[in-house]
Amino acid sequence: MAADTIDLDLTLRWPEFTLRVAQSLPGRGVTALFGHSGSGKTTLLRCVAGLERPQGTLRFKGQSWQDGNIFLPAYKRPLGYVFQDANLFPHLSVRGNLRYGMKRAGRGMVRIDDIVELLGIGHLLERKPARLSGGERQRVGIARALALQPQLLLMDEPLSALDIKRKQEILPYLERLHNELDIPILYVTHAPAEVLRLADHVVMMGGGQVQASLPLREAVAQPDSPLFAGQSHVAVIQARAEEATDGLRRLQVAGQWLRVPEDACSSCQPGKTMRLQLAARDVSISLLHLPEISINNQLQARVVDIAPAAHPVNVLVRLELGDGQLLFAEITRASRERLELHPGMLVWALVKAVALAGDMTA
Amino acid sequence: MFKRCQHLIIGAALALGMASAYAEKVTIAAAADLKYAMADVAQAFEKSHPNDKLDIVYGSSGKALTQIQQGAPYDLYFSADIDYPRELEKAGLVVGKITPYAFGRIVLWSTTMDASKMTLQSLANPDIKHIAIANPKHAPYGMRAVEAIKSAGVWDQVEPKLVYAETVPHAAQLVESGNAQVAVLSLSLVLNPQIASKGKYWLIPDKLHQPLEQAYAITQHGEHNAAAKAFAQYMAQPEARAIMQRYGFVLPGEAK
Amino acid sequence: MSLLLTAEDWQTIGLTIKLAGTVTLCLFVVGTPIAWWLGRTASRLKGPIGAVVALPLVLPPSVLGFYLLLAMGPYGFIGHFTNWLGVHPLPFTFWGLVVASTFYSLPFMVQPLQNAFEAVGDKPLEAAATLRASPWDAFFSVALPMALPGFLTGGILTFAHTVGEFGVVLMIGGNLPGETRVASVQIYDHVEAMEYAGAHRLSAVMLVFSFLVLLGLYAWRPNPKKA
Repeated sequence: MAADTIDLDLTLRWPEFTLRVAQSLPGRGVTALFGHSGSGKTTLLRCVAGLERPQGTLRFKGQSWQDGNIFLPAYKRPLGYVFQDANLFPHLSVRGNLRYGMKRAGRGMVRIDDIVELLGIGHLLERKPARLSGGERQRVGIARALALQPQLLLMDEPLSALDIKRKQEILPYLERLHNELDIPILYVTHAPAEVLRLADHVVMMGGGQVQASLPLREAVAQPDSPLFAGQSHVAVIQARAEEATDGLRRLQVAGQWLRVPEDACSSCQPGKTMRLQLAARDVSISLLHLPEISINNQLQARVVDIAPAAHPVNVLVRLELGDGQLLFAEITRASRERLELHPGMLVWALVKAVALAGDMTA
Repeated sequence: MFKRCQHLIIGAALALGMASAYAEKVTIAAAADLKYAMADVAQAFEKSHPNDKLDIVYGSSGKALTQIQQGAPYDLYFSADIDYPRELEKAGLVVGKITPYAFGRIVLWSTTMDASKMTLQSLANPDIKHIAIANPKHAPYGMRAVEAIKSAGVWDQVEPKLVYAETVPHAAQLVESGNAQVAVLSLSLVLNPQIASKGKYWLIPDKLHQPLEQAYAITQHGEHNAAAKAFAQYMAQPEARAIMQRYGFVLPGEAK
Repeated sequence: MSLLLTAEDWQTIGLTIKLAGTVTLCLFVVGTPIAWWLGRTASRLKGPIGAVVALPLVLPPSVLGFYLLLAMGPYGFIGHFTNWLGVHPLPFTFWGLVVASTFYSLPFMVQPLQNAFEAVGDKPLEAAATLRASPWDAFFSVALPMALPGFLTGGILTFAHTVGEFGVVLMIGGNLPGETRVASVQIYDHVEAMEYAGAHRLSAVMLVFSFLVLLGLYAWRPNPKKA
């Protein structure tokens, strides 16, 4: 048991449902707890928070929060919790809500300006929750949890109660959180898009048990990954933004370059590491580099393996880039035979569309 | 055959009709403390007058007065205070004479102490913490209790210990529950079989208080009620008087 | 105004207000934990205890008064308790009326409070726990402020109900001026003694007073429609 992980061995028995989890979760980055409703992911989060009382042990970075002898109550755990519906105190203003936890965590002197700026709620401080929109309430809920300077942030489907527009509004804030905070975040969701966008590690849950716990890279690489149930596979790639010329921004990945319209990526600053999503159906394969076609983005990669795709007429080709990152291409069987594709072959991946921060169409 | 049945039915109906024409109902308003005495007298009366039915309503004499003034259908009114029927008489609501049936007497009573050995002076005893009487503001027995205590010269010591019940039976209840040690009750109440076995009493001399003349009269409503008249007369007969005396309702000149 | 009523009548009004105020304060203290428990427990006892609390709603006041008289006397369990404490027995005293009225008005405080606590629910208290508030802290800083309308309703109902109390007082009060002779008993005595004018006057004053108190309190309640 390393001192930098969250170690759980918990059992919670209810009349129609039993939660049984024994896992070691990373002590940094965003870990998504992913599954359908009823899979136990929220219950697990609540157990970590101390809002439920399971049997077993729970250690946070070496601190024992629960074992055979002690159970540290929720209010003594150094965590922040963001509820699905914000759960703000209706009798306090936004400022009052933010101050509530701060006072009690002994952080009365800490200024909340940074958090307020991070979440864009400066103009809402004197309002009461009843006069905020759903998206605004959610941002205040996040700010309130952060104001405590917690060592662990727990988020329970923070976007599921919002419509698409609000989700798009808040996701950038969550991404900023991810980049600016050094603390571990446990993020419960049933939306693959959020996992792809935010997670570093994925815990797949079903029926009250953990079915898999893997880094995101590996989670997307599985051909039958539940993240893509029935939909086209999406590869998540990290690239480094560089300068823009003639309205096109260069992104460097594995020693090669992708180009995207400059205004499609307003947060791409030179030197910044960006997370890209490339859907398999947007990637074609060529045996040669093709300068004479309109597709700008062509990456050289090696075929790792070929598996059946969701659609019986297609196959999913797994490709590896020079730096080990994985890419997927969905092509017809007929094309695969015609090109005589086999593992180990060097090919060119033609990328028709790149999804970046700000785009929810994955 | 059918015609025969018809005759029978008509004949029976007529007979019944005639019978009920001769049976009369009398509605009586009686003071609450007359309950057991009147029940016995009524029973005796109905034995000798099988056609007459007595319907007796017990309650506060003052309330009954108000009701009769407002037209309540009582034929006879038995009041624990003669002043009330006199008021009716002034308003012309009384038929015939107002006849006394008793002079109310008051007693000292206790369940925890031997009241038969007490006098009014005993009430000053520090062992007696609370003395229950009926509220003198509106209960005649309560007024007489106050008069007697004053006449006995112990008012200043006793007054702080008084607690006021709404009625005489309520005062008895305060003693029974242990909250008051002694009560000033009516003689008629302590002779009541429900109460008699629970404690002893001491009869307060009637010269210590104003007389509490209790009387009855026929009301305007009962003017033409022959049965009402019959009962009023029956009340003055020796049989009825014997029952009344047994329950403590005595007139001056009668044996105690 | 002072010529309208006798000094005795004014004394009864003062005593009534003192009794209603004292009982309301007592019930804030006694009723809150009961309402909190009823509003949040999943125990099987919730139904029976809720029914016991609601009993004074259906019991005739004189029945309640009668049993309290027995219980508070030297043969009853409350009487034994006061005896053991070395305290003056409760019947015929102001504090005896306070104790009796606390039983009598209990559901008028507990039920609105219980509803208010139920409306608060678990979620705000869980939020408070995740924000470092201990259970007591969460109660005072979150549950109480959120349940404030319930406190107002409970307080108003309790006060008004105690002002009108009659049957219980009659049974155990002993009708002592300045101690247990409240306005409702005084009005009754006026009627019994056929002093109807006095009864009318005192009733009118009580009616106007009660209306003004209730009007003031109702007007002060926070309007949920305002933001």
